[in-house]
Amino acid sequence: MAEQRLQKTFTAGLWQNNPVLRLLLGMCPVLAVTAALKPALTMGLSVIFVLTCSNVVVSLMKHLLKPHLRILMFTLTISTFVTIADLYLRAFQPEMSAALGPYIPLIIVNCIIIGRAEACASKSPLMVSLVDALGMGAGFTLTLCALAAVRELLSTGKLFEITVMPSWFMPWAAMGMPVGAFVTLGLMLAGVNLITRKT
Amino acid sequence: MDTLQTLLLAFIGIVIVNNLVLTKFLGICPYLGVSGRIDMAFGMGCAVTFVVTLAGTLTWIIDHTFLIPYSLEVMRYLCFIMVIAGAVQLVEMYVRKFFPPLYESFGIFLPLITTNCAILGLCLFLNLWEIDSLIHAVVLSIGAGVGFTLAICIMAGIRENLELADVPEVMQGAPITLVTAGLLTLAFMGFAGMI
Amino acid sequence: MFAKIKYYVEQSWVLMVAAIAFGTLLAITDAAWKPRIEQNAVNRFTELAGRLLPNAIRFESATSEPLTIDIGGKSVPVDVKRGLNAAGQTVGWAFVCTGSGFADKIQLVAAVDAAFETLAGFRVLSSNETPGFGDKINITPDEGGFFQPQFVGAPVGSLTLVKTGDPQDINDRIVAISGATVSSQAVVDTFNAYLVPLRETLAAEGLLP
Repeated sequence: MAEQRLQKTFTAGLWQNNPVLRLLLGMCPVLAVTAALKPALTMGLSVIFVLTCSNVVVSLMKHLLKPHLRILMFTLTISTFVTIADLYLRAFQPEMSAALGPYIPLIIVNCIIIGRAEACASKSPLMVSLVDALGMGAGFTLTLCALAAVRELLSTGKLFEITVMPSWFMPWAAMGMPVGAFVTLGLMLAGVNLITRKT
Repeated sequence: MDTLQTLLLAFIGIVIVNNLVLTKFLGICPYLGVSGRIDMAFGMGCAVTFVVTLAGTLTWIIDHTFLIPYSLEVMRYLCFIMVIAGAVQLVEMYVRKFFPPLYESFGIFLPLITTNCAILGLCLFLNLWEIDSLIHAVVLSIGAGVGFTLAICIMAGIRENLELADVPEVMQGAPITLVTAGLLTLAFMGFAGMI
Repeated sequence: MFAKIKYYVEQSWVLMVAAIAFGTLLAITDAAWKPRIEQNAVNRFTELAGRLLPNAIRFESATSEPLTIDIGGKSVPVDVKRGLNAAGQTVGWAFVCTGSGFADKIQLVAAVDAAFETLAGFRVLSSNETPGFGDKINITPDEGGFFQPQFVGAPVGSLTLVKTGDPQDINDRIVAISGATVSSQAVVDTFNAYLVPLRETLAAEGLLP
């Protein structure tokens, strides 16, 4: 029974409550780092790490929180883990760290993380918070990768920097620019609307 | 005279050429969320301008008097977000006391300024661009706020007119807003390379 | 008075404890990874500069304090590195230079020969130019770019950007990337700002043969 509930929490993050496609949260990184798959994946994994750590810590100290100091506590927790993630990337993935630049520290102000801390972790037991973080993080990462795959394929004809399109393919430079991000995500959301309208 | 020119160029640069919303994707949440009506968009823009000026200046001072001289760069993100959270709290109290109707209409978005990426983003860019004078940092902070207000007001103006347009059902709401935003960034790309 | 202090402590002890705990956590992580982060920056420079000066096996700073040169009325510190071969002879000089590109700053690693007379080329350390246009300055000679090779062997002095010409001719005329004139100009301007002042400063320090 409990297992079933956890499973439900996890899948909710993937589709039903997908942070990007359904809740429209955390749009900055979604648009900014999806020009190629590799940075998008790195960003997604960093978000999963930060989200999981912050949800676990917040869930552990939920009884100690005072209502008016709550947000302060959340930001403190989140920024600590973001700094750790940033240091890790700078030490072990210097290329990715340079490519993502200020968007890694900007995870601090990603609404998904503070939103989950507020809506889920500060009310739920440890296991539920953990699974919720993993589900939401996975949903975020998958969306990011889907968007990045479309953009990288169309703007350079490559996936993960490996050429996959035939030689006659003419790259659409616009897909790598800001406009490509906005329009692709807009069309993706329209697609989601189309699917959910029918069911 | 020379400094004045540099500052003016920096200001125009951050308002138009390197507009944080349209070229760096910062502050997208309020940009899509509060741009329904032009008066609310303008109010939001003013609140953000105030906070970003305060936060940009304060974080620059903290960065250059404490963090860099004592090599405490590891604490940078923590300090920045704390300063921003404090500044937002200040604005919230001020607006609630003196402009209650505005406070009502902002609703959830006022505390959400804390999580507006444009503000933390600017503070980080001030550090990344190695801005070395206080006045330069202040000008860039104000410019970032003005740029945000400009972008969100243009968007709100378009969306007010969009209500009259016949948008396909699946494109209504967020999708059409995103596509509009995309076209707007295309327009702003025309300014790139101007400076 | 005492009651008030007690109230504050009651309200905020979690915050205090958490702040100390998180601070310690950060300090430990930072201490553990800092050497690696610094090493990464050095490695990246050495890798790029090593491609430009294939004979150099290591790089060391030419002066203990970075040299300062005057660019547009501002004094800019430049850490000029000496490229040394296995026998310890100087085979060239390499340094990082910064210019303003189309969208953002461009950082280049540039190298010149031992006499500071001809360029050994450049590589892009970081740039944020338009994908598909301005970012063509990043294409290295190995990847078939025509822009970067033009600098290999070009004289140290004033370079000019031209729209048409033969990129195979190595001289002070650099042929621009079509569609990316601003980015091409930015690279040329960066070289013009750094090269001559740097040569004069190095000569004044008595470091040039």
